Amino acid sequence: MQETPIVRAEGLKKTFTLSEKQRKIEKTSQKRKVAVDGLSFSAYPGEIYGLLGPNGAGKTTTLRILSTLIKPDEGDAFVGGCSVLKEGEKVRDKIGFMTSELKLEGFFTPSYLFDFFGAMHGVDKATLAQRKRELFARFGIDRFQEVKVSDLSTGMLQKVSLVVAIVHDPEVVIFDEPTNGLDVLTAKVVTDFLLELKSMGKSILLSTHIFSLVEKLCDRVGVIIDGRMAAEGTLEELCEGKPLEDKFFEIYEGIKGETV
Amino acid sequence: MKLKALMQKEFRRFFGDPKLIITLILPGILIYFIYSLMGGLIWDRPVSHDYNVLVYGESTAVESLMQSSFGEDLTLTRTDDKDAAVEEVKSGNITALISFSENFDEEVASYDPQSGLPAPQVEIFYRSADDASSSFYTAATALLSAYEGSISNCFDVNLGDTQYDFSSTSEVIMTVLGGLLPFLVVTLIFSSCMSITLESVAGEKERGTLATILVTSAKRSDIALGKVIPLSCIAAIGALSSFLGIALSMPQLMGLDMGGMLVEYAFGDYLLLLGLIVSIVPLIVSIMTAISTYAKSVKEASSFSGVIMIVVMVLSLVSTFVASLGDWVCCIPVLGTVVAVQRILEGGAALLVGLVAIAVNLVVTALFILLTAKMLSSERIMFGK
Repeated sequence: MQETPIVRAEGLKKTFTLSEKQRKIEKTSQKRKVAVDGLSFSAYPGEIYGLLGPNGAGKTTTLRILSTLIKPDEGDAFVGGCSVLKEGEKVRDKIGFMTSELKLEGFFTPSYLFDFFGAMHGVDKATLAQRKRELFARFGIDRFQEVKVSDLSTGMLQKVSLVVAIVHDPEVVIFDEPTNGLDVLTAKVVTDFLLELKSMGKSILLSTHIFSLVEKLCDRVGVIIDGRMAAEGTLEELCEGKPLEDKFFEIYEGIKGETV
Repeated sequence: MKLKALMQKEFRRFFGDPKLIITLILPGILIYFIYSLMGGLIWDRPVSHDYNVLVYGESTAVESLMQSSFGEDLTLTRTDDKDAAVEEVKSGNITALISFSENFDEEVASYDPQSGLPAPQVEIFYRSADDASSSFYTAATALLSAYEGSISNCFDVNLGDTQYDFSSTSEVIMTVLGGLLPFLVVTLIFSSCMSITLESVAGEKERGTLATILVTSAKRSDIALGKVIPLSCIAAIGALSSFLGIALSMPQLMGLDMGGMLVEYAFGDYLLLLGLIVSIVPLIVSIMTAISTYAKSVKEASSFSGVIMIVVMVLSLVSTFVASLGDWVCCIPVLGTVVAVQRILEGGAALLVGLVAIAVNLVVTALFILLTAKMLSSERIMFGK
């Protein structure tokens, strides 16, 4: 499997300036916070790569850099060979990005939004119509395709967000916390679909702090702690026969020097 | 294709919501009805009443003056019983009672104000709550004051047959319009642009739906244009509605003739006026789009817009209060447009000033679109906390 990486991060570093309010919340006097600190990793075609780490470890920042929403202070990342720094538009056509940060306009219907975002990615009408039929049927959206997004249930909204994110049939699907806030049924639909995408040859990069999700889905895992890559490998290599949860806390305690 | 889809989305968002259409068009309709109603109340009040007036005492001079002034509407009836006549006024059976002191005309003719003696008296008994009575009182007192002035006349001002005022009625109308309309037009366009743009740009940013578009491969300049073009069209409809509301109700409000107003301007004037209005709409929309993109929320964008609104209003009023502004002002956005509109409405030479103002509007619009595109690429502005 170890051919050319589909996603490659090289020494990514990202620092944020903390406002006075944020400093109070985080109980720190430091004006700058290093969110990602020299992070490097590679994800290969057809695999599900998981970024595992606690809240504030830098997972979301890394995914936002990969999706070109923000720029790294140092380093670069490549998606399908295109630089996120220099070829933002090409990168955005190669990825489907799903995060709770990105919302859909409640006034429109799933059908209209699918067409709109398809046009935004330059998908032709015939392909768009076919993908809409397939994806809407696959996720049970077809019955709600003319209902305003604001009137949809949380689960259905998540499904619509998912299909809109992959409207252009991207090579790489990037998911920030894919099952957060979902009921068990919708979470299963999403995880099943990720496996289906994998079987279709798509590459998936996801961030999570849920061990069971990593165990169920990921081929390879990168453990991020304090913006740095603490450990990386296949599940077998990483866990060395131990449960993922135990191994994670072992790594965490080794780095932080404190017992959780 | 992407720009087309972005523009269609804005139009669909707006025209798919009847509430938004109503809020855009309603101000114009309300302005028309309110101004017309006000004009109707001011100018169409019935002016003729039948005045049934009792006269106690006698003054040939005043009575004939009144008779010639009021004409057939006035019936003067002599009475010898003042108290009974006062009661008649109280009960509302007659319009008013005029009471002259004894030998009024002779006393007036021989009265010397320097003598210190009490002057001859006229008393008018009336009821202010009664329209006819009140109207008669107002007209009669004005007539008596004029009569008093003519008796002790020392000099006259403009009383000859010569024409003293060389302005035609239409010129007066044009001056009034030139002073008032540019300010109203700019204010209406601004308020129309503000309500739509804040919701569409700052609202989308606040709700996180703009970020979803930023993850697509659409160019930032297309996203900026995809906002400014449709929002300008929509704002122009709102501004046009308000403008028509004012323009159609203005003659009624000012008691003027609409036909007379329209024929004063040439076809070229209308074209230039249209060009100025059409070019200032995208200018204001692009400014508001840039502000809304910069702001973190609709609330913040509203407070920024308040400052811009004051600047725009001051610029649109400057030309009304500052006389003899040079042609160079046409290079200042908004002010140039206002000066050009003012010149057209006042019938002055406006072509060059107007064309330069249009060009300035378009250039500044393009600059603000570029600025918006730049801001859409800035993570600090788009995703900064």
